[in-house]
Amino acid sequence: MLGGRYLKIGLILNLCTTLTLGHILNEDFHETLDLRPLPDGRLLSAFSFTTLLKEAIPRDPETLGSEDETQHYTLFPLALGQVLREYAVTELHMSLNAGKWDYDRWGYPEDPGVGTGAELWAYMGDSSAVSVDARWRGLRNALAGLFCASLGSLDDQRTTSPSLTFRPEGSFPQWTSASNHQLRHATLPSENVCTENLTPFLKLLPCKGLSGIASLLNPHRLFDSDWHGLSVHVRYLRDHGVEVRLNFQAVSDPVRYSVHGKRDWSLSSVFDRTIHSSCRVASSSMIRVARPTEKTAVVSPEPPSKSEDYAIFDLSDTATPLDISMQWQDESKFIYPLASSSSPLTPISVQRTLKGSIQSQGRLSVVITNHLPITIQTSYLETMPWLLQFYLHSLRTYHNGISRDDLVSIVSYTPPVPHLRPTLFQAVLTLPPKGTLHLSMDVMKPFLRYTEHPPDAERGWNLPPAVFVPLISNTTSSSKVASELNVADVDFRRLSRRIYTPVLLVDLATPDFSMPYNVIIMSCTLIALIFGSVFNLLTRKFVVVRVNQDSKPATRSPVPELKN
Amino acid sequence: MHAIRQRIRNVLRGNGDRNATRLQRRRALGTLIWSRLPELRLLLLLVGFAWILLIPSPLLGQSTFIDENALHPGQVNTYWNWGDVHQADLYLAQLEQLRDQNATSKQIAAHVSEEFRKLGIPSATQDYVYQTSQESYNGTNAYAVFSSPRGSGAEATLISAPWLSHTEDALNLRGVATVLALAAFLKGYSLWAKDFIFVISSGQLDGMQAFITTYYGEEPSNLIAEPLTLPSGVIWVALNIDYPGHSFSHLGIFFEGINGRLPNQDLHNSVQLISRHTGGVPVVLYDHLDPRDQPWREAELSIIPSWVPASLKKMSFVQEYAYRAKNLVRHVGYQARGKASGVHGLLHRFRIDAITLYAVPATGPHGFHAIGRIMESSLRTINNLLERLHASFFFYLLVNATTFLKIGFFLPAAIILSVAMMFSGLYEWINAAWYKTVVPRSEEKTETTELTWVERPRPVLDALLVIGATHTAGVGLFYFITLPAVVVNHRIISPVLFIISLLLPLAALPLFKQTSPGASPLWQVLKAFNLCLASTVVSVTCVLNFSLACTTAATLSIPLIFSSPSTSLPLKVVKYAFYMLLGFGWMVFATEEVRSAIWHWELMGIWFAPFICIVYTPLVLQAALVSILPL
Repeated sequence: MLGGRYLKIGLILNLCTTLTLGHILNEDFHETLDLRPLPDGRLLSAFSFTTLLKEAIPRDPETLGSEDETQHYTLFPLALGQVLREYAVTELHMSLNAGKWDYDRWGYPEDPGVGTGAELWAYMGDSSAVSVDARWRGLRNALAGLFCASLGSLDDQRTTSPSLTFRPEGSFPQWTSASNHQLRHATLPSENVCTENLTPFLKLLPCKGLSGIASLLNPHRLFDSDWHGLSVHVRYLRDHGVEVRLNFQAVSDPVRYSVHGKRDWSLSSVFDRTIHSSCRVASSSMIRVARPTEKTAVVSPEPPSKSEDYAIFDLSDTATPLDISMQWQDESKFIYPLASSSSPLTPISVQRTLKGSIQSQGRLSVVITNHLPITIQTSYLETMPWLLQFYLHSLRTYHNGISRDDLVSIVSYTPPVPHLRPTLFQAVLTLPPKGTLHLSMDVMKPFLRYTEHPPDAERGWNLPPAVFVPLISNTTSSSKVASELNVADVDFRRLSRRIYTPVLLVDLATPDFSMPYNVIIMSCTLIALIFGSVFNLLTRKFVVVRVNQDSKPATRSPVPELKN
Repeated sequence: MHAIRQRIRNVLRGNGDRNATRLQRRRALGTLIWSRLPELRLLLLLVGFAWILLIPSPLLGQSTFIDENALHPGQVNTYWNWGDVHQADLYLAQLEQLRDQNATSKQIAAHVSEEFRKLGIPSATQDYVYQTSQESYNGTNAYAVFSSPRGSGAEATLISAPWLSHTEDALNLRGVATVLALAAFLKGYSLWAKDFIFVISSGQLDGMQAFITTYYGEEPSNLIAEPLTLPSGVIWVALNIDYPGHSFSHLGIFFEGINGRLPNQDLHNSVQLISRHTGGVPVVLYDHLDPRDQPWREAELSIIPSWVPASLKKMSFVQEYAYRAKNLVRHVGYQARGKASGVHGLLHRFRIDAITLYAVPATGPHGFHAIGRIMESSLRTINNLLERLHASFFFYLLVNATTFLKIGFFLPAAIILSVAMMFSGLYEWINAAWYKTVVPRSEEKTETTELTWVERPRPVLDALLVIGATHTAGVGLFYFITLPAVVVNHRIISPVLFIISLLLPLAALPLFKQTSPGASPLWQVLKAFNLCLASTVVSVTCVLNFSLACTTAATLSIPLIFSSPSTSLPLKVVKYAFYMLLGFGWMVFATEEVRSAIWHWELMGIWFAPFICIVYTPLVLQAALVSILPL
């Protein structure tokens, strides 16, 4: 009897699974974790959760006025899907990062969007129904609600369309109405990233944070790392469908966690968790460990498959619990590489600083070093809020100390509109081989309106990062360069990826709001004085008073005479 | 009762029209002030000087307190431990080796920079060359930037130790070792919100000046410095460590910056609290130990002269007064001359609140363990800052480590002297135009005469020309003494220059002989302008640099107020000699000071040398001219 009941339940469950599987055929979920030991002893962990909605097409913005088709998803995140459909977004990239990505020591990240703070950019089709700007406003508010981030502040004062740097990563659908796609991009460098952003991120995953690779996402450890960031990428791939990629990257420092200063790490030491079970709905679930060049580094347990650079663990056929670790067997203590001996990991290094100590003007200084023995062209993008205004005529370029204004060609420049619109400055720089280019430009720091100061601690204003994209010239193919240079460290496949500079902090002239009493006392005194004198003048009756002319110094009061 | 009140009212208001009474009273008061002005002037002078003497008194002053609520000084557990002390000892051994090898600045910087890199902290060196008229300075700074975990790199805290100690002729080896060990220690924690910039600057002040001006892109024209390759963000707070001895008994705090700027008092107060409660180290100002705590060193530490009777010496009031006065004199010595009392002083210009922690050399009991804990806890406090230090005072006089005077308690001292000068100037100005004379009555009864006020023209233009000429001469003098050739041969040229300055006004004297008949004498108008100008200078300067204003007021008020021409030649000569010595004496009697002031001007743009040449000396010269002009 009891057995029969279990049988029934089993049958129902079976039925459910088959039904679910029927849907899974249209949705594909892949999860990967890349673990890469960095040259300075740190460990990069890049989580990537990809869901592909097969044969789906982004919504045609012309249909925005009419009823949308129903949305049934099993694996695809519904909350995100609804936002995408509601605002007819073709391609969407959002990242929330904390920390400064150190390209010189860590190389390129797995996910290129590593600018400090929040960044959001989207491609949307033109529509006569609802304008792109209105949808952009709705999109950032919806995402702000979805991710508990202040994306709503990415308003018109921060929105630009830098199409040179931010190219679409997918393809555009062929709707019946021939429509153009428009880019909207905005950054908010002062946005902090923390647990409140990770929780909604995990909710978008089919297995949440309960099983599979996502179970390693332990906020206590992730937010203690040296750098961390999460990102959402949505793109449309023609002939495939709509792809949603949720990434989380973290750079942790095993040396800091280690008592003896060793760089050995394991999943349990880095995340304080191990993988207990795999995510059953995932079509693939892989952990790839990049093997360092040192032969002494040992990965345990023994990986089921290896490639030249990676040890690969497939969670579906690996025994759980799984705790991958890496040990450098001959190292008793990690010895940091001296900078001179290590070759650069990116083709260019960029420094951007704001010089000057006064609150009315300053100088923006950008120093770009080309590490390669070939000429590189790179695009240079500034999307500066009007809090810092460029004096473009004062742009000077020096290459190794010699004035070379010919190395900059300005592609586009949209001057800022105070209180309304940011600057958009796009240029292409030519970097001669193995040299350093110094760019400097005078900037003006404007005076803010009283109400434009945030009701907050006055620490200055964060300015968004500049973005560089190295463009290897077509004349030299990358493989040829690689063979010529014999530099294995520079990954040429990734050569033309975005490089973000660190953010800047600018001090604008600010009244000391935190001294309200001084202000109140001061202004009340002034008003009292002004009011007193005006009141006196208005209410007083003026008469001629005859004062006794030859009165002696007034020890006694003389008898006054009054004549009208 | 009512009757009494009525009578008082009658006396005050009179019993006629109130408005007329008021006008009369006002006029009477004016007449009183005018007739008593010489006495009032004396009274103001007296009060002003008395106030200056009152500043160190224990009657004034209040306890320091923390104003910025975010700071929470000393509220954290510290983790700096004996292992870190051992690390510091190891660094010290290496540095001592370098010292014994007589290593150059370049070698030291390279070594320090490599040590930072071994810790995994990016570091670099910076070569610089200064060209001053006296000599050229070159050196190499080492610096490192530790990017805080998760920090955006937009804000930074600077921790520095110059290679040379500021107060003694010693090397700051332990200071440098502390910074290195601190760097290793700080890297082990992820709670830092701001980057740390570690600077081991070469020389005393020149190295840091090269570093910080390059950091902010405001290099002076006489500096050639390598650009910095490691950028970081805006610096809010800086701590400088000066630890020249083997051990230390007290922590001394130096806070004066160039051109009289002071850091926010919260920084001093926090470090003071942390040092006492977390580090267990008593805090003093500068290296001034309190003679009451060290009775066996009283003769060396106390400034009470030996002739003061012992009974007076033992009074706690006198002892406290003497101790405060010693601190104040040191403070005025730095601030009035615009000198930085340490490397930290160079940073104030860039809106960085900075102080120097000076480990007062002693045989014990504190060492790396205490200073490390104090630094760690102070950095945790600084780390709490969400905005720049702004809540506490920027204008203050610290009389000892825990007591200070607010601006209202010391500013009147200079202002009252300045008012005395202004009143004297206005008195002269009126006297120049009006004089009482006996006018025979034109009508009948010719034998009766009457004193009447008669107005006469004032030679305003002549006086202004003289004032303009003296200040122009001051500019010329400043230009001349800063010429490289003059600076080098200062010893020979100064006496010559002094004699020339002595004779030049005498030679120019015949030019002033003819004043138009009937006009007031030139000296009177000149004196009026001179006093008004001096008064204005003092009252404007006193909100920028109180020490300078107060010193100027104290030096100038009496000589300027009592300058007057005389008929007897010997008196004239004596007066002239006095003024010339007061105005130009520094050329011959303070050659070392002149050298140092010029050096500070060229290296750091300190305004003391130009102030003396262009403001102070011409003012005294004008008084000298007053004393020799014809009556």
